[in-house]
Amino acid sequence: MDNKLCGINPNSEHRTPNSPEGDRIVITGLGILSSIGVGKEEFWKNCLLGISGVQPIMRFDVSSYRSKLGAQLPEIDFKTFIKPANLRRMDRIGKIMVSAVKMAIDDSGLDLSKENPQRMGISIGTGLGSSDTVDQFFRALLKDGPVGAQPLLFQTAVPNAITSHCAIEYGIKGANITFSHKETSTEMALAYACHLLREGEADLIFAGGGDELSEPLYHVYSRLGALSPGKEKGLEGMRPFDRDRNGMVLGEGSGVLVLERLEHAEKRGARIYGEVAGVGFSGSTDGVLRYDQKGHSIAKAMSLATEDPSQVDYISAAANSTLDLDRAEALAIKEVFGERAKEISVSALKSLIGEFDGSGGIRACSIALSLYHGIIPPTIGTTRLDPQSDLKIVLGQPEKRKIRFALLNGSSNGGSNISIRFKLYP
Amino acid sequence: MRKRVVITGMGVVSAVGNSVPEFWDSLIQGKDGAKEITAFDASAYRIKRAAEVSGLDLSAHFTARELRRLSRCDQFGLIAFREAWRSARLDQDSIDKRRVGVLLGAGSGGILSVEKYFRDVYLGKGRPSPSLLISYSLATTTDLIAIESGLKGPRSTTATVCSSSSASIGVAFDLIQMGLADIMVSGGSDSLCEVSFSGFSSLKLVDPESCKPFDKRRQGLTIGEGAGILILEELGHALRREAPILSELIGYGICADAYHLTAPEPNGEGVERVIRMALSHARVFPEEVDTINAHGTATLFNDIAETRGIKRVFGERAREIPISGIKSMIGHCLGSAGGIEAVATVLTIKNGIVPPTIHYEVPDPHCDLYYTPNHSIKKDVRVAISNSFAFGGNNVCLVFKKFSSESRSS
Repeated sequence: MDNKLCGINPNSEHRTPNSPEGDRIVITGLGILSSIGVGKEEFWKNCLLGISGVQPIMRFDVSSYRSKLGAQLPEIDFKTFIKPANLRRMDRIGKIMVSAVKMAIDDSGLDLSKENPQRMGISIGTGLGSSDTVDQFFRALLKDGPVGAQPLLFQTAVPNAITSHCAIEYGIKGANITFSHKETSTEMALAYACHLLREGEADLIFAGGGDELSEPLYHVYSRLGALSPGKEKGLEGMRPFDRDRNGMVLGEGSGVLVLERLEHAEKRGARIYGEVAGVGFSGSTDGVLRYDQKGHSIAKAMSLATEDPSQVDYISAAANSTLDLDRAEALAIKEVFGERAKEISVSALKSLIGEFDGSGGIRACSIALSLYHGIIPPTIGTTRLDPQSDLKIVLGQPEKRKIRFALLNGSSNGGSNISIRFKLYP
Repeated sequence: MRKRVVITGMGVVSAVGNSVPEFWDSLIQGKDGAKEITAFDASAYRIKRAAEVSGLDLSAHFTARELRRLSRCDQFGLIAFREAWRSARLDQDSIDKRRVGVLLGAGSGGILSVEKYFRDVYLGKGRPSPSLLISYSLATTTDLIAIESGLKGPRSTTATVCSSSSASIGVAFDLIQMGLADIMVSGGSDSLCEVSFSGFSSLKLVDPESCKPFDKRRQGLTIGEGAGILILEELGHALRREAPILSELIGYGICADAYHLTAPEPNGEGVERVIRMALSHARVFPEEVDTINAHGTATLFNDIAETRGIKRVFGERAREIPISGIKSMIGHCLGSAGGIEAVATVLTIKNGIVPPTIHYEVPDPHCDLYYTPNHSIKKDVRVAISNSFAFGGNNVCLVFKKFSSESRSS
């Protein structure tokens, strides 16, 4: 059989995700659209300054909701990133995702014309994808009946349309997958991309995720009681690990990483931010809207991802300012690292960019920048630590630190827990 | 060494049967599951037919409180999961549930419940129950299955819609390869809803009459619903607990056309690539493939592209390979299509019978292969593939093989 045509190495042997002799996966490009900055430079500057993306919602009317805040993207001129003719077929979240891929390509220095399209893949995580488009489609259907159904809206309404837009825009003909599993959607997309690269099924994969803050999404979270301040007392806002935390503030944005096999990156002389070195998964079963209650499952995911607990210097927490998740994650960190837990820098980026299902992409980009620059962005909003969160939480100011290994934690309500280990390069 | 992964249990809910034996009997008899829609009010639509699930005694499966909280998609998924779990004898054996994960594929998920909620909100009909919103996430059915059985292994949900549950089976295979699980519950569930029904109708992809894959008179698909759940298990684990082994999953392929948001690449290049990827991954040659469970949506473009892709891979021999288009019977079940069709593919191998493509009468010169017209055939099948393609040109192909305890020859 012509294996070149298949784009696959039939002799690839299985390697466990953590095996030291396993093929090395490196990060060579970052694309970020966030409420605190569009593009890597602006995002990182504002991360280190501890600037909050949370502000009153402007894109839709929130007067009927108790919560009023969100971390929204600024107005973006998408023509900067995408050809105007192609913009027409994309909805807003499609543009948000394609722009992140475009930035990641530019940042990586890749010349796509020199790459084999069949050896390029894309793996994206999103909670709802085009929730706004689905809502528009449905409203028109309610208003006008079957004749109100708009085919152009429907084709972009499917959750994988965002991934398809990217594949079509850049001719990415290899692996193509979309995951949607609440707050761990993107962590899964990253883990799967790493597996495919290790197996030799691709040379490079665009991995990440994103979501948009739409009114129906806001309505659902509000009605399910997940938003700050919910039924709790106190001010609305993100303050992970704070004793007065009272729920999440929703955010939006996208983050995409170019992941490559090391030899492929070296051959083209790419700048390398860091490595992705291991993954761990665990499920908790406390309820369909509940996070891991005791932290044992989060601990299991972290310990599976961690080869040597003595070398982990930084944990990018999943903590989202909810009573349950923040407490469980703090317990889990202490369970895995014991006495050493107090030496590990912990930071919750969601305090700056808000909570959304596809946030893992931006959070992974932020880890890559931390590894590369040796500096950890602060957790903001938190003034009085919950006594149960007696960890070395990076508060208010960034922390300079050489990071040997970092963990990206993801936890979803319903019970998926994923941890990904990143490594300093070289 | 790559781990061997076998199928040890299956469960189905479909328009032609709500258990594996009933489903299989209907398939080999060529029963059409299409009927008048009752899941939502379809009176305003010109086409009012779909392959709707019927005859389920929900009160035998769920309490009244559960029925209020579970979406139709959750209900199908849980019922099919319970059948799969029991048939794999996992209800009897003691297993380490930290090593059992759940990875389903989703399509429209619980949107039927969410539609009910927002219809009332937007039409100003009071304050609907927030329990209808539990299903807003596509992850809900996956989580419910894990929670019901205390499964603490890896968990996620694929969301490529028409190929979702095939993709989930591929990713679940990989999670076992990664050493993260011994058993993965995989496949998918999906239910009829007005958004997807009206969406496919608006794209003029729904046949006003019956679904006629590969027939010259075809005008599109019939929307279907249901669930197809498979238990994937690492071979050593299955052998140690003497589990029933139905067949082996030996590989898969996943790729993109990168061509168009709804239309397939017309020359079948994407189809060719995914089948070749899958066969290469499975380490079998095209000559070894005995039957193909086609994506076969009966849309004009899909059936031509799929036929061309199959010919590009198998050459002259393509005409000798029996192809099944079972969407002619169960409809296009979107997020669960790949799961249900994987169950059918495993049964094809196990029983040595290839199910038919029904409503096939007028050959199309552009679709000139052997589609097993109208009647099932007996055939000893060692290797079978199942194709699933989605909007945006996402392609998945699964490769199953008759189980033999000897190690793989190729």
